[in-house]
Amino acid sequence: MSVGSRNDKLKLGFLTAIGGREKGYVAGLLVTNQFGRPLEFQCTTPVKPNRTQQILYGPTLVPFIMGELIARTLVEKVGVKPELILTDRTEILDLRNHVSTPMFCIVEESETDDSVTIGQQTFRAHSSFLSDHEMIAEQIASMLSHADLAEPLERVRMALQETISLAAA
Amino acid sequence: MDSAINHEQPKTPVIPRPPTQSISLSLTAGIYASGMNSALKRSPRVECESADLLDRIRYVPSWKPHWAKVQTLGLTFPEGIEFLPPPPPPKDESNESSAELHAVKDLPQSKPDGGTKRERTATRLKPPDSTLSIEDRLFYVLQAPLEAMLSGQELIMPFEPFAFQYEGIAWLFSKGSALLADEMGLGKTMQAITAIRLLLRAGHLRRILLICPKPLIPNWRREFQMWAEEIPVVTVEGNAARRRIIWTMPTAPVLIANYELMARDFDAFEEDERPKFDLVVLDEAQRIKNRESSTAQTARSLERKRSWALTGTPIENRPEELASLFEFLEVVPPRGTPDLRQLKRLANDYILRRTKDLVMTDLPPRLDRDEYLDLAPAQQYAYQIAEKEGIIQLNDMGDEISIQHVFELVLRLKQITNFDPLTGESAKLDRLTAHMEEISSSGGKAILFSQWTRCIDWLDERLKQFGTLVYHGGVPTKKREPILQQFKEDPDSHLLLMSYGTGAVGLNLQFAGYVFLFDRWWNPAVEDQAINRAHRIGQKNPVFVTKFISKNTIEERIDLVLQQKRELFKAILGDGDDTNVSLSLNAAEIFGLFDMKARHKKGTKQIGPTPSSDSSQDAAA
Repeated sequence: MSVGSRNDKLKLGFLTAIGGREKGYVAGLLVTNQFGRPLEFQCTTPVKPNRTQQILYGPTLVPFIMGELIARTLVEKVGVKPELILTDRTEILDLRNHVSTPMFCIVEESETDDSVTIGQQTFRAHSSFLSDHEMIAEQIASMLSHADLAEPLERVRMALQETISLAAA
Repeated sequence: MDSAINHEQPKTPVIPRPPTQSISLSLTAGIYASGMNSALKRSPRVECESADLLDRIRYVPSWKPHWAKVQTLGLTFPEGIEFLPPPPPPKDESNESSAELHAVKDLPQSKPDGGTKRERTATRLKPPDSTLSIEDRLFYVLQAPLEAMLSGQELIMPFEPFAFQYEGIAWLFSKGSALLADEMGLGKTMQAITAIRLLLRAGHLRRILLICPKPLIPNWRREFQMWAEEIPVVTVEGNAARRRIIWTMPTAPVLIANYELMARDFDAFEEDERPKFDLVVLDEAQRIKNRESSTAQTARSLERKRSWALTGTPIENRPEELASLFEFLEVVPPRGTPDLRQLKRLANDYILRRTKDLVMTDLPPRLDRDEYLDLAPAQQYAYQIAEKEGIIQLNDMGDEISIQHVFELVLRLKQITNFDPLTGESAKLDRLTAHMEEISSSGGKAILFSQWTRCIDWLDERLKQFGTLVYHGGVPTKKREPILQQFKEDPDSHLLLMSYGTGAVGLNLQFAGYVFLFDRWWNPAVEDQAINRAHRIGQKNPVFVTKFISKNTIEERIDLVLQQKRELFKAILGDGDDTNVSLSLNAAEIFGLFDMKARHKKGTKQIGPTPSSDSSQDAAA
């Protein structure tokens, strides 16, 4: 299909987070067209859990902050709604429980049998939403057959670093 | 949580009695005379209160998970100009007119499976140092790497750029003020066009003005067609009324105009009617080296957001010329005169210059050979007479003498070093003929440059056996392209005779492996431009460059002066870069060729002719 046809309307969300308990967690969501051209970017200010939250959430703290708290906020906030959200943080994948947009996380090829190849990477869906695989296989995978879908996540990480360094300056 | 608490007293103690240790409390303490010491002598009063045990929990601490609202920062990217999709690539690639592009096309291309033969890197756009707002900085950080943008996904590139070209594109993209000063043949045009293309697509530019010398307008149009065919390009031409319409046409993203029209038309505009641009690009920007010229003044007055300048020779004669370019870039104040140290710092910030030696490590070498020739006897006689009489005449002029008089003598002597006008004897022709016999027998092709069209025609008559073709200002424009085509395709055509003025710029002749400089131009940069017609991207074999210099003549002395002057300019644009310097002789130096002193007060007036006019050369001759 040529530029300007329906492929041009495919919008991808790239969602990742950086940080730690000391400095707080920040997440960013970059929405691009299928060629990687940026359309919208949303990021959070650092979210830093206090001592009580760290104790009481225990091991669920990071998935909660990254997924339900900040990633969900970003997805709700973004104006250009993506048709597919890709991440490289398994903690963020839990967000799928709270949004209707199909989500995938980059995995090593050998990590799981329930994986799907999109572009140059291998992804897996949330275990409760394996039907997302069908959606991607039927509608999107062929459009992105040569795309490097890890690269935009790198851009998001660099942008988050930029915001942190500017905030610290 | 209530159920977790046991209200009943335990029947048996479950906690073992703790071990005790007696400590004597008979401590001695001194009493500080405070006036309250009598109170310390009173016995302490002890009272007891009884309290009932609780039969139920009266206070239950509770905790509800609460998180402050997450603050977000948003950035929406401007919508770039959408162009019609480009037509499918031509099936017959042999129609390409640009041999340079053929060479780039030969580079390893991305394979369909995403792998490449050549190691790929990601050239990322960096925010300019002056960009402070987080939104502006993120705009650059979040752009896709150039390789991804230009590798046939969204923006189709006919050929894959080199790594240094990606770097140049990214640098231009991020720069509001930029002087791209790559050596000739490294693709400044392509880098500028691609950066413009990306900025248009990113929505950062809407309206661009490109100013170039008139003969290069077709070249720019062709390059736009090649590298960004979806971008409409309009040339400012026609009568004044038509040009006015074009200047003010809001829908044309890219306007191309020549320097003369720009200066003339903008003078005619009322101040508030002048068109405004997001970007103004000056090609061959050394055209504005003279700050006082109307061209330079008009260029500086153009209302614009970004200023780019392109030139392979940022310093033509004096460091002050670089200051004029910086003034156009608006990085020095009006009339500012930065010293050498400041110029060097500005050069680091605003100039990107790469030489072929640095980036084209796979380009075959250029092998220069200076051939010092003794004049033929008749030449020698004619030269001595002309020099002797000329100097006598100059001395007789006294204070009437001007650099023009000296210059005329120089030209006359230089012509004699080419051939004796009476007998036609020529040591250079004899040597050239010997070279050409060897070159033609091996099927090679050579280009020869001279500054005189008359000399070129004279050579043409005497070298017909090598299938000579002539390309100079006297050849009608329509006939020039077929001549180049014939030189490329005709196996019997081994020698192309060109003038510096017409042949030195903008031509791609990398199928020729030999270059002869029959006589020397006034500055080395023009000679380098001429040589680079053959020694450029796409050349697969070493290029042999032969410069003829007649011994014990004016040619030898001029060559020496030019070599000495190169040294000064290395200090500004970097060591090892001696190709950016185009140093015409000034008046004092021309007088010095005959051990005479300049009468001109300033002593720095340039007398070398511009290479753009062959006719002026002949007239001077």
